[in-house]
Amino acid sequence: MKQIRNFCIIAHIDHGKSTLADRLIQVCGGVSLRDLHDQMLDSMDIERERGITIKSNTISLDYKAKNGNDYLLNLIDTPGHVDFSHEVRRSLMACEGALIIVDASQGVEAQTVANLYLALEHDLELLPVINKIDLPSADVERAREAIDAELGLDPLEAIPVSAKAGIGIEEVLEGIVERLPSPTGDPDAPLKALIFDAHFDKYRGVILQCRVMEGTLRPKDTIHFMHANRDFTVDELGYNQFKLVPKTQLQAGEVGYIVAGVKSVQDIEIGDTITLLDRPADEPIPGYQEAKQVVFSSIYPMSTDQYVDLTKALDKLAINDAALTYEKDSSAALGFGFRCGFLGLLHLDVVQERIQREFDIGLVISAPSVKYILELTDGSTVEVDNPSYWPEPMTIQSASEPYIKASILTPESYVGPVMELCREHRSESQTMNYLSAGRIEVISEMPLGEVLFDFYGKLKMITRGYGSFDYEPIEYRKTDVVKVDILVNKEPVDTLSYLVHREKARTRALHYCERLAKEIPRHQFKIPIQGVIGGNVIARTTIAPFRKDVTEKLYGGDVTRKKKLLEKQKKGKAKMKQFGSVNIPQKAFVSVLRADND
Amino acid sequence: MIINHPHWSSDLTIPRSVYVHVPFCRHRCGYCNFTLVANRDEWVEGYLNAIEKEISAVNVGMPAPQEVDTVFLGGGTPSHLSADQLERLIYILTNKFLFASEIEFSIEANPNDITAEKVELLSSLGVNRFSLGVQSFNSKKLQTLERDHDAQVVRDAIDTIRKRVADISIDLIIGSPGETLESWQNDLDDVLSINPTHISTYSLTIEKGTQFWNRWNRGDLNEVSEDSAADYYETGIDFLTNNGFDHYEVSNFSRYGFRCRHNENYWLGKSYYGFGPGAASYIDGMRGMNHRSTSRYLQLVQSGQSPTVESELVDAEASAREKLIFGLRRIQGIDVNAYREETGYTVFELAEKDMNRLLVQKLLELEDQTLRLTRSGLLVSDSIWPLFL
Ligand SMILES: Nc1nc2c(ncn2[C@@H]2O[C@H](COP(=O)(O)OP(=O)(O)OP(=O)(O)O)[C@@H](O)[C@H]2O)c(=O)[nH]1
Ligand code: SF4
Ligand SMILES: [Mg+2]
Repeated sequence: MKQIRNFCIIAHIDHGKSTLADRLIQVCGGVSLRDLHDQMLDSMDIERERGITIKSNTISLDYKAKNGNDYLLNLIDTPGHVDFSHEVRRSLMACEGALIIVDASQGVEAQTVANLYLALEHDLELLPVINKIDLPSADVERAREAIDAELGLDPLEAIPVSAKAGIGIEEVLEGIVERLPSPTGDPDAPLKALIFDAHFDKYRGVILQCRVMEGTLRPKDTIHFMHANRDFTVDELGYNQFKLVPKTQLQAGEVGYIVAGVKSVQDIEIGDTITLLDRPADEPIPGYQEAKQVVFSSIYPMSTDQYVDLTKALDKLAINDAALTYEKDSSAALGFGFRCGFLGLLHLDVVQERIQREFDIGLVISAPSVKYILELTDGSTVEVDNPSYWPEPMTIQSASEPYIKASILTPESYVGPVMELCREHRSESQTMNYLSAGRIEVISEMPLGEVLFDFYGKLKMITRGYGSFDYEPIEYRKTDVVKVDILVNKEPVDTLSYLVHREKARTRALHYCERLAKEIPRHQFKIPIQGVIGGNVIARTTIAPFRKDVTEKLYGGDVTRKKKLLEKQKKGKAKMKQFGSVNIPQKAFVSVLRADND
Repeated sequence: MIINHPHWSSDLTIPRSVYVHVPFCRHRCGYCNFTLVANRDEWVEGYLNAIEKEISAVNVGMPAPQEVDTVFLGGGTPSHLSADQLERLIYILTNKFLFASEIEFSIEANPNDITAEKVELLSSLGVNRFSLGVQSFNSKKLQTLERDHDAQVVRDAIDTIRKRVADISIDLIIGSPGETLESWQNDLDDVLSINPTHISTYSLTIEKGTQFWNRWNRGDLNEVSEDSAADYYETGIDFLTNNGFDHYEVSNFSRYGFRCRHNENYWLGKSYYGFGPGAASYIDGMRGMNHRSTSRYLQLVQSGQSPTVESELVDAEASAREKLIFGLRRIQGIDVNAYREETGYTVFELAEKDMNRLLVQKLLELEDQTLRLTRSGLLVSDSIWPLFL
């Protein structure tokens, strides 16, 4: 039997994981030259377009090593963005080793470190790779120093490559077979297999990706999901080699796919352990963590008659996105919509963009919020993430909000401004670690809600692009939250309401007012825009009316022309949403959520 | 509830208004995007032949002549034609149409073209209203606008016309580049001193395809600000109404009894004939538009084809909506009862919830069963119309 290596590729965003995967695939001949294109494994349109990986991807490659042996390499390409770190975690659990890539011009960044820790937590053997050595700004020696000082790995083991130019790929493959361990596990033990990924295929239903830890799995076996407590019968299993290659069994150490009549990824839990119903394992694989939604936002179709379409779109997306939650919501201004839970802002962005693009539904999105825990005066405890359900302030005894431990990597010269930025975002403590010469890690405990708004963009700005950021949730802490309503022409627009710390309420409200004043076209009348807490106005702007908008020449021949013009104007209006007597364009709702001043 | 809406508009009557477009000018002014050819006098004969052919094709089989109440020779510059050419043009009209005894017969004229002979001839042929393209009394402003006359020419022209024809309308342009409140007020004072029966004021707009547009795009031409334009417009309205003019439509003012009936006919949604390049007609609920290019128009008519290249059937509801929109441009507004009688719709059902809002916001007012624009509504009226469509 072939020898096996199970490994994933981890790195900070954009350090070249998917590109390196392309080269490995190419060298191993997993795909014909004709079918080659960049970031092969990024299969969604949105991944291609933005050049980011959103979902992990698995592929099995045949490799004949210099030692003459044949190997089966099971490669998992992971996403780099912090929102999707649960994907990385699960992928790591399926592997014995990992390639950790460091960009030769960027060096070690926050997710490099975060992913390193994750890998160490799961006892993985690590093979450092220094990528992009073709860049003029590449500094391989500095990257080696960083691998030594900041990651604590052996710098001499690091393999310099250019994934783009195809330099050093053989060395990486040899490194994988030489230095990463082969899997262990008893094929005769009761079955224990990790479901580390799943995606929906329109012909075959859900295709599960699994790593068999112990035992052997065959078609027709009835599998039992140990956390979800559900059973399915295996129709087919095999290897992922760009197409699905059916096999008669998957045994301990192997990675492969399973088709088992699962209709939607929401029916199961990724990260779950499967075992055989008739010969179950004692306990599941440890380390299981549910993906946790940390950001909540309501989405509404621009035109209310698209509500049914939106329902269908979400159902479809959810089949393939186990981390997305949604439930019916309604707004006085916008009618029916959904309250959705996301893993982070990028996740929100991706879902929203896919709905607009793949399903052609214009959306209005409410301000993203974290989940607050409230103790009420009647002694009860409630969780609230939706401003619409914020209780009367009188009835709130105390409130708490989620905190994170943020890790920010920055060149030493920007430490001052970074600390300042953290304090501005209500950081309660900042500590510093010296990583290597001139490189600092700032650890800051701060509210999650604070990084949702304008944190990341500002960090990039003050560090001139050199700062990077990662976080993990820690605990809930007491806070002083208020609900701010936005009134447009004296009427509240409920989808614009947001929950915020009292200290931040005014600045945020001003930002909202100013943004709206910019995006809402002038009307025939003056439009006041106000941010209010209860009855108190805390911020205001006004949109001046236009003074003159009148066609002066209008005679026989002009009537037809004028009518055509008016019809065009009327169509333009349809792209806006009417609140009371004010038309608000869709882009206004998006623009208030952006902090950057453009 | 809507019951018994007529399916087609009620204006199935034979038009009693005639418009003739005369597409000739000495020179194309920098701001002008009308249908016209400059410096092509050799085309006039062909044009008159085409007009004759186009008009003779109207209502063949009907007992000629047909009676009409208004005739309007517009342009371009109809006065640019020679006396003979004008005579022929009017004969073509009288061949087909019988002028009612109370006819309003207007001609647009450039002050430079006015001679005692032309006025004499025109008035003898029935012309009883002159619309003069004065634009300004200020030489600098006239230069900017590329007009070839000055204040004295205007005064002389008026004196000449007045010997035969009393009804004189003067066009003024507001907000030409460099206009100030003072320069505009001077124009207003000057026009008042001449004391015409009718005045039209138009704010300069910079239209695509004009010289001004190109210059403005290059940054060589400054438009007056929206605020100033609004100030000038309102100043004009206040000044002229304070001096006894009736502000009866967005851009039109008249002495008592001297409204332009021809144009009122358009605003009331009545039918009319239109002849010549770019001319529009509205007959039997059908809106038609002739080809805007003079040479194409001539070709089409010469080769026996219809010059009407666009047409649209206006159904009862569309006609009602038009009557609402264009009727409200008349300052006196719409008599809501008469409107319902005429169109079969109430103004409220057409505008639904917007009507109330517009009333509350005082952009419209409803008084004694009359719906009209308020001053602030008038100023922003273009933003109201899409609501009624
Ligand atoms: N010059 C150069 N550019 C590279 C190299 N490898 C990758 N890139 C570029 O770096 C960018 C990011 O590459 P990806 O492979 O998408 O990076 P990734 O790590 O998969 O990114 P995420 O999945 O979003 O975390 C792309 O524009 C690549 O073309 C390299 O060796 N040299
Ligand atoms: S005279 Fe009148 S119609 Fe002729 S070009 Fe000038 S503005 Fe236009
Ligand atoms: Mg990638």
